[in-house]
Parts: sequence; C-alpha cells; structure tokens
Amino acid sequence: MISIQLFVVAILLFCIGALGSLLLNGHKQAARVYSGILGMVASAVGISAAACSFLRGTQVLILSSPLPFGPFSMKLDGLAAFMIGLISVMGFAASLYSISYLEKYEHRALGVMGFFTNMFLATMLLVVAVSNAFFFLIFWETMTLASYFLVTFETEKNESIHAGYVYMVVAHIGTFLIMVSFFVFYLNVGSFNFFAFSQAQLPSTLRSLIFILAFLGFGAKAGMVPLHIWMPSTYAAAPSHITGLMAGVMKKTAIYGILRICVDCLGLSMLWWALLVLLFGLASAVIGVIYALAEKDIKRMLAYSSVENVGLILMGIGTGMIGMAVNNQAVTLLGFLAALYHCLNHAFFKGLLFFAAGSVENQTNTRNLNEMGALSRNMPWTAITFFVGVLAVAAFPPMNGFISEWFLYQALFKAADSQIFPIRVLAPLSAILLAFTGTLVAMCFVKAYGSAFAGPSRTRESHQARESSASMVASMVFLAAGCLFLGLFSPAVSQGLVSVAASIRGVSALPVAAGMWIFPTTMIQALISPPLVLIIILGTLLMPPVIIYLYGGFKAGRRSVPDPWACGYGYSPEMSISANSFDQPVRSTFRSVYFLRTMLNKPLVKVTGWANRIKELALKRETFMEHGITDPIYHVVDYLGKRFQQLQMGDIRMYCLYIILTLAILLIVVFR
Amino acid sequence: MTSVELITIGIFQALLVLICAPLYSGLSRVLRAKMHNRRGPSIFQNYLDIAKLMKRQMVIAEQSSWIFKFTPYFSMAAMLLLAMMIPILIMRSPFGTIGDLIFVIYFFALSRFLFSLSGMDTGSTFGGIGGRRELLLSVLVEPVMMLSLFVMALLAKSTNLGVISTKISTGQIIYNPSVWLGMLAFGFATFVEMGKLPFDVGEAEQELQEGPLSEYSGHSLAVMKWGLYMKQMTLVALFLAVFFPYGSMSTLSFSGLASALLIFLLKLTFIYALMSVFENAMARVQFMKASTITWTALGAGILSFVFYLANV
Repeated sequence: MISIQLFVVAILLFCIGALGSLLLNGHKQAARVYSGILGMVASAVGISAAACSFLRGTQVLILSSPLPFGPFSMKLDGLAAFMIGLISVMGFAASLYSISYLEKYEHRALGVMGFFTNMFLATMLLVVAVSNAFFFLIFWETMTLASYFLVTFETEKNESIHAGYVYMVVAHIGTFLIMVSFFVFYLNVGSFNFFAFSQAQLPSTLRSLIFILAFLGFGAKAGMVPLHIWMPSTYAAAPSHITGLMAGVMKKTAIYGILRICVDCLGLSMLWWALLVLLFGLASAVIGVIYALAEKDIKRMLAYSSVENVGLILMGIGTGMIGMAVNNQAVTLLGFLAALYHCLNHAFFKGLLFFAAGSVENQTNTRNLNEMGALSRNMPWTAITFFVGVLAVAAFPPMNGFISEWFLYQALFKAADSQIFPIRVLAPLSAILLAFTGTLVAMCFVKAYGSAFAGPSRTRESHQARESSASMVASMVFLAAGCLFLGLFSPAVSQGLVSVAASIRGVSALPVAAGMWIFPTTMIQALISPPLVLIIILGTLLMPPVIIYLYGGFKAGRRSVPDPWACGYGYSPEMSISANSFDQPVRSTFRSVYFLRTMLNKPLVKVTGWANRIKELALKRETFMEHGITDPIYHVVDYLGKRFQQLQMGDIRMYCLYIILTLAILLIVVFR
Repeated sequence: MTSVELITIGIFQALLVLICAPLYSGLSRVLRAKMHNRRGPSIFQNYLDIAKLMKRQMVIAEQSSWIFKFTPYFSMAAMLLLAMMIPILIMRSPFGTIGDLIFVIYFFALSRFLFSLSGMDTGSTFGGIGGRRELLLSVLVEPVMMLSLFVMALLAKSTNLGVISTKISTGQIIYNPSVWLGMLAFGFATFVEMGKLPFDVGEAEQELQEGPLSEYSGHSLAVMKWGLYMKQMTLVALFLAVFFPYGSMSTLSFSGLASALLIFLLKLTFIYALMSVFENAMARVQFMKASTITWTALGAGILSFVFYLANV
C-alpha cells in the first residue's frame, strides 16, 4: 500500500501548496518561493511513489463515493507509475525553475499563479492514477481549466486571451469526444470502471466507434495534425515553466489516454486502427517539423517541434498496435517501448528547451530569433544546456532522443518482415520518412542554436543579456543531466520500460538489454552500445590534438581578430545569416507543404467562428430576456456574490471550481 | 575472432582512412586536371598543403564560441570512429557491437550538424550560407541513403553492416534489380554527399560546400580539410561495404589482410576515377534546383523498394 499512501501524500502536498499560495497572494515574494518549494517537495514525494510502485507492483485504492458513478478508485499499475514518475520529475524541474523565473512577474498575482500551477500538477497526477472514467473526466477537465488560466495569466495581452480561447475550444471538442466514447462504453457495460471497460464484449463496429472517438479526442489534446492548431499560439503565450509542463507532460497524459483506452481497454487491435495511428503519427511528424523550420519565434518553433515529437510517439504506438493486430509480441513490445521511451525523452529535452527559451526571453525580451545572437558568451549555462537539448531532440547518438528513435526504427524494421502487404509497404516507408524528419529537425535546431546563441549579437538587448539566476540554471542543468543519463544508461532504462510496455498488454517482457548493449529482442538484428560510443568518441577525440602536436601546429599560436572576413568590406552583424534566410531554401523546396498550412488554418477559423456565433446568439437572447428574468436574478446573485466575496477574495478565477461542480451536478441529474 | 583482434583491425582501418584519404582526394584532383588538359598538382599535394597549414598561425574571429574551435576535432574524430565501424577489410564490422547502419547515418548527420553550426558560429556570411546549403542537401539526400540501406537491411534481415556485407558476399543476397537500383540510388547519394558536382565544386571555397571553412585557418583548417577528405573516403567505404564487399577477408590472416588491403585500395581507385569522370562530364546546376535532381535518386530508391516488395 505504501506507494498509494505516498501518492496521496503527494496530492495533499500539492493541495497545501495550492491553497497556501492563494492565502499568500498578498505577499508576492513569499507566494512565489512557497509555491515553488511546495511543488518541489510534493513532486519529490510523487517520484518516490512511482519508484515504490515499480518495486512493489500494482496497487489499488477504492473509496466509496456518494455519487452514482461507482466508487472512487485508483490503480497504480506499471503504466500509471511510469506516468506519475514522468509528471513528478517534470513538476520538480518546473517548480524549481519557477522560483526565479517568476521574478519578472513580480507585480502580478503570483499566489494565483502558484495555486493553478500546483493544481495543474495535482490533477495531472490524478488523471493518470484514477481508474474510473467519470473521475477521469472530472480531473481531465480540471487539468484543462487550470492550464487555461495559466495560459491566460497575462490577461492584458491580446495574444494570451486569443491563445487561451483557441485552446479552450479545441480542448473541449476533444473532451466532448472522449466523453462520448466513455458513455458508449457505459451504456454497454453499465459501469465506469476501466477494468469493466476492458472486460466488455462489444461488437466490432462499436469498438471501432469508441476507438475513433477516443483517439481523436485524446489526439486533440496531444496536438497531432490536424488538431495541432491550438498549440503554437498557446505555447507561445504561456509563461515558460507552464509551456514546459504542457509540452513535456500534459501532452503525455493524452498519450496515456490513448494507451489506456485504445490499447488497454479495447484490447485486441484491428489492423486498420494501427495503420490509422501510424499514418496520423507520420503526418504529424513530417508536417510538424516542416512548419517548425519556417518559424522565427523560438517558442512557436518548439511548439511545432512538439507536434513532430507527438508524431513519433504515435508512430511508436501505431507500430505496437500493428504488432497486436498480427500477433507479433516482439513488434508490440518494441513499438510501445519506443513510444514510452520517447515520451520520457521528449519530456526531458522539450522541457529543457522551453526553459532555456524562457531564460533567453527573460533576458532579451523577445522571442524572435532574428533579434538574438551571441548569447552563448553572456549566458553560458543556458547555451550549453540548450545545446544538450538540441543534440537530444535532433536524435544524435548517444543522446536519449537517438535511443528512442532507434527503437522505433527497429520496431518498424521488424514489423516490415510480414506477409500482410500494407504493413510491408508502410513500415519501411515510415522509417524513410523518419529519416527525412530527422534531417529537417537537425536543420531546424542548427537554425535555432545558431541564430540565438552563435554569431554576432544583433540587438542591444542580446548584447547586454546576463545569465539567469541560480534556480533556473539548476533546473536546466538537472534536465540536461537527465537527457545524458537517459542516453548513456539506456540499457537499464529500456529494460525497465519494456516491462511497462509488457504490463499494458499483460504479457511477459522480452530482453532488450544486456550489460552495456541494447538490441531489439534479438542480437542478430542489431546491437548498439551508447556508453561505448561515448568512450570511443572520447578516445578518438584525442587523435587530432596528437596529430597537430606531431606537426608542431600548436607552436604557431593563434591571433584574434574582431570581425570575420567580409571580402575586404567592413563587417556588420547584418551580414551574418539570419533565422529568416536560413530556412529559405527549404521553404522554397517544400512550397506545397506550407500552402497546406494556410488550408489547415481554415477549419480553425471556422470553428472559432461558430463558437463566436454561439456566443453572439447568447448575448442577443440575454438582452431580450434581460428585463424579465435576468435582472432580478442578477440582483440576487449580485447580493449573494458580495456576501460571498468576503470569503473568496472576489477572485474571478474561482469560477473554475463552479464549472466543475456544475458538471458534476448535471451528470448526477442526468444519470439518476 | 577474438575481440582483441577485432579492435586491432578496427584501429588499423581508422589509420588507413586517416593516412590514405588525402592521397585519394589528390588523385581526383590530378584526374580532373588531366581531363582539363592541365598538368595539375602532384598527387601528394594535399599532404603538403596540410603540413604547411599546420605550421601557420590561427586567426579567429572574436565573436566565435567553443563550437567553432571544437568542430575540426570532432569532424576528424567522428570519421575515425566510423572508419572503425564500417567493414572495410573484413566481412564484419570491427566495432560492430557499438552501432549499426542507423547509427552510422545519424553519426554522419551529427558531424554535418556541427559543421554547419560552426559556419554560423563566426557570423560570417559565407559560413552561414554554406551551412544552409549543406543541410538542405542532407535533407534531400539522407532519406535516399536511408531508403537504399533499409532495403538492403530488409534483404539481410539485420541492420548490422557486417551481416549485410557477409550475406552479399556469400551470395545469400543475390544481385537482383532491387539491389542494383539500391546501389544506383546510394551511389548517387554518396556522390552528392562527397561534395561533388553538380552541386558543389570543391575548389570554390567561398560559396559552396566549404563555406563553413572560410573562417578557419592554421591547424584547425588543416584538420578540417583532412576531416573532409576522410569523410569522402568513409562514404565510399560504406558504399563498398554494403554493395560490393568482395575481397575483404572473412577470417583473420596476414595474407588475407594484405590482399584485402590491396583489393580495397584498387576498388577505391576505381570508384574515385569513376566519380571524377562523372564530375567532369556534368555541368553545375543552380542550387535551388537541386531537389529536381535528387528526386531522380529518390525515384531509384523507391523503385528498388518496389522491386523488393515484388520479390524480383
């Protein structure tokens, strides 16, 4: 039981952190430090809960509840423990980072920020732990709301308000689809318990319906193409530690949802489901990275890169489902292993990159890559950690990103050896597109690092930038070390993750690691050893200096000149290549894909248009009935509200609580 | 074969590539001169250039960072590592337990990544544009390499380079249309990656492939150039290992080593000569039209895949 107890303690600590920082709202300094430290402590407890759960196996907690949706039940199985560990580690890093990052928001309601941050973390943990669909939805919705208020924290910025609105609309379309899929389950099973879901004997058309609903619903939250439209603006608008959490962790709760519902509950997969997931993954990966390349706003670029990474994760899940469909255990395990490993890696490196981007934004007051430059001199820690993140995201060996992509290649390679024609075609082609994506990611991040940290400083701000304060640096170093660890210690990590992957399907794990080596269940197919790569490259790096020494090259010395060569003209920073011109050849080569983006934006405009029209309609009705009904009610509510204000400090953000309560009450009324 | 023997062979291969790379690059310079009816430099000119550059003072732009200084070392070290892994003299990958063909492709990408970043690092115009070109070419060409290698790996049922080499030389993979087309596609990709026409002229430093070199000087330029020669040779060696591994030894012996070495050098001479002919028979194309040409290579790669699917 210890892991459940630790988990509950972690949740309680998050709640204490949330309420405490709300109480401290008047004392900005105190609220900022308090919520950060409580977040760190609670996350540390969360990490230990995950560790205990790994060691002790599945744990279950059931509390009877007065609601008619079955008891409140939590189940910490392998997948849940993995997610709890992931969320807690990132929660730790984000809380640490927020302590000094929020200094620039000193004049704002930092207590409220602390409240929502801690609530956001707590609800994410609850989402992955509960095993009852009704409570899952409640926490899912709370999570969305908490993140919505964090995105729109800078309320005076139109950008934030608009981003929050788009986010809200797409997130609720997703929630609606998930809700429908759960109700279809409920109507046929008579229970909201996930375990009952997985035991259900449903006709295949119904199962397919549930699959499509849940996949699209969770996919909207995960940000797969074409439901990614909310991500760039949302990620750009939110404060960086929140963006890091949203990209690193919140998307993973959607991946968790796909694994839980589409893989665990629905059981045996049909081939077309698997191919659908794989195709969505491919589209997200390729389109995401091509758009990332064209961005000059560093956070929007990272957001598109997240679309790409979700694509890779979905490709892993799709390959795993192919394995389920053709009953090939090795392919199943390798596919899910690649997906889980990439979830973990993406959390680390994307969190790191967003944190570093926030650190840069803090100093230069811009997100435009064209207005940075030469930051590696003034911000060495940010630069070096960003560089580690870049190596990881571009999947260079022996970094962690390479390991998960390697497993994905191997899973696809193994899947390709099949008798079924669509798989034989699609699996190798996916691998080729993966390679294509890889080259574009490399180009994208050469551009990002090159224009932000290398080259000449292009503005006064970037010239005067200083290194960020200790807690931000500590958090970035922590995540960078995590990236290195996950790469170099991949044999141990992958063996652990393959058992998680096996637990999703309830099968026994196959070996994928021995000693310093990792291999895709058979050593004949392939074998790599990340630690040895590092050792050997360090060895070969000794060669060039030895050669130079033998030639007597070091005697000649070196001389610094102020400027690079410019054909004899005077050098000016404008001569260096900018972020805009760097990707120009790609933009012209893949012109047609960028045309697609304009096309894809149309549905977004339409959806927000509908939402606006509904709003307008409501406004019109409101004036119509105002004098008869609304006004008297308004006066009563106003009176009550004023009474109530004394209790809750009149903070409009408390409305999130009302919305959840309303949701709960409505559901009770409907199902009674 | 014991691991000590394999490690020895691996180190021997790395030294071979290190020592011979400038020679073969010199060979292609000489051949080009002959085709232009010039007398041309000596075949050993590259060694002399390197020796001279090594003794020169280095000039560094102040705004460059550690990446600029680190890249020359890394580009040479990376090629040494790859030379140890590719089956050059032997039918196995001497350091095959540390990585497979996916690793090799990604490691080439890593050295290219640092190469183009070093071009941006100084803030030099040519460096940035050279880096950009280099990366665009990789975007167009790397999928072709991956496609043709992946088909070979599917035929061999393994992504280990040594296994592919062994299976093709023992006839377990026969030269069917799929392999021929894969060879064509990969050969084309190698040709482009080596920095040859139609996209690059190795001697037009300021604008083309060697753009990132424009700020290097002294011993860092020497090491950088050496690294590029080694990269060309490593790519050819990779091509030979996958598509034409005949002549390499299957078990270790002194005579086997000598003959494998001789045959490898002959194969290299042939390939470099062939490439020179192609290079001089082609015109340069506008860089932005590169994609129209690489589509052809991709087409060959896809055809190879289709033939594989049809089991032809």
